[in-house]
Amino acid sequence: MSEGFDFYRWRPVIFGAVIVGAILICAIFAPLIAPYSPYDLDYMVMLQGPSATHWLGTDEIGRDILSRIIYGARISMQVAFIAAGIGLIFGTVIGVTAAYFGGITDMILMRFMELLFSFPAILLAVVLMASLGTSVLNAMIAIGIVFIPGFSRLARAATEVVLREQYVESARAIGMSHARILFREITPNIVAPLLVEAAIAFSYAILLESALSFLGLGAQPPEPTWGNMLNTGRGFMAQSAIMSIAPGMAIFLTVIGFNLIGDGLRDALDPHMKD
Amino acid sequence: MSQDLIRIRAVSKEFGATGWFKKPVGVKAVDGVTLAVKRGQTLGIVGESGSGKSTLLRMALRLIKPSSGTVEIDGQDIWTLQGAELKAFRRKVQPIFQNPASSFNPRQSIGQILVAPLEVHGIGDRDSRRAKVAALLERVGLPKDAIDRHPHQLSGGQKQRIAIARAVILQPEAVLADEPTSALDVSVQAQVLDLFDDIRRDLGLTAIFVSHNLAVIRQVSDQIAVMRHGSVVEYGEADQVFGDPQHEYTKTLIAAVPDHRKLMRAL
Repeated sequence: MSEGFDFYRWRPVIFGAVIVGAILICAIFAPLIAPYSPYDLDYMVMLQGPSATHWLGTDEIGRDILSRIIYGARISMQVAFIAAGIGLIFGTVIGVTAAYFGGITDMILMRFMELLFSFPAILLAVVLMASLGTSVLNAMIAIGIVFIPGFSRLARAATEVVLREQYVESARAIGMSHARILFREITPNIVAPLLVEAAIAFSYAILLESALSFLGLGAQPPEPTWGNMLNTGRGFMAQSAIMSIAPGMAIFLTVIGFNLIGDGLRDALDPHMKD
Repeated sequence: MSQDLIRIRAVSKEFGATGWFKKPVGVKAVDGVTLAVKRGQTLGIVGESGSGKSTLLRMALRLIKPSSGTVEIDGQDIWTLQGAELKAFRRKVQPIFQNPASSFNPRQSIGQILVAPLEVHGIGDRDSRRAKVAALLERVGLPKDAIDRHPHQLSGGQKQRIAIARAVILQPEAVLADEPTSALDVSVQAQVLDLFDDIRRDLGLTAIFVSHNLAVIRQVSDQIAVMRHGSVVEYGEADQVFGDPQHEYTKTLIAAVPDHRKLMRAL
């Protein structure tokens, strides 16, 4: 097919990828980009607003906010990728399996998912952290597990729709193996809603991590994450709004980036929108 | 060896709520149907929607398990088949479905779709498969470049031609078609039907052809079964069913076929 690259079709994805890419570069090359160390205190310049020396001002113990945001991208992005990845992979496998095999398999898997669903996300994460132990990696795993039921229900619903399509019946009648039907016929046709959900999970993971570190379960101070910066900033809203605004904007930009990628991919991958 | 390739014996299918908390109320979609298809012949099953004809076809394709009764191919109960025998059955009997829009995976090209049966059954290598697909596309009257197109880029009639191609690529013994032309325009319907009939004769296929359209059934069938409310009300040679219908329902159906001579006179 002589279809050239269609810029307009991929525009939202490219735009989102530029934003997310920039944040990723910040995370990877933080020591080269950050103007100061994220840990160095300077009591002479506490709670300052933006200035030429400190572009985004300083926090309550005189640390450079821009540097902390840049370093904070490291943990926030790791959490987002790993947690959403765990939710996406395990949730999809469970949901597709439940819908495809049906009957008792479906019943057991989905009741277990509902069990996970019935706990508030934060409570579930706290319980999981308590049993896994406190570390950033365990926070990512706990947040990932929180996402599994959502992904699994979405995957199950999407699979049920695809299962009713005649091409799946044809595949069975031709004699395709379960594995081939699952990977070649079903999975490619349910990725679109899952990608959108993944984009939302990315943003939610960043927020959940901040809640966990606020409770003392995620990354511990002085380690900078956008979540704990936002939480600390809350206490100093009246004195220095930039302390909350800066990490808030960072989260906002990341969320926008991921959502653009998710929505854009859904549209760009829709075969009916070609031509 | 009997001359019947497909034998359906007292097959019933009951659909119903089978949950823990649901009352076990069943609906009999198919009720004690016995039919046989001779090798090389075509059985037409006609009936209104909800008469159970599609369910019956799916049971013969081993897609739905009958509540009772058996379906035999070459004298073997298809629900006892396993492993290599099941695979052989999957090669011997091929489906064509009604809806051209949902018959194909929208993410695969026509080439990928047509090559899949050959891959699944391990027939030929890359080049010979590709050649086979190309030859078959030509046989069903599609342009060469269709091989790289996606289903949504083809018309309904073209898609049903692809469906016919997919059904015969494995050189099966039987093709079971579920209303393959009912979603198409009348003019296209006739072309696709001709193609189906042509290929069926060429390859000496045995076929079951399900339709609600009596005119279509008449064109392709050697025997006809008329279904209503899950049961066969009339079953016999095509000429006999049309010439001398026994059952009231069959008479009503035949009377309902628009007669173009009468129409011409009315105009």
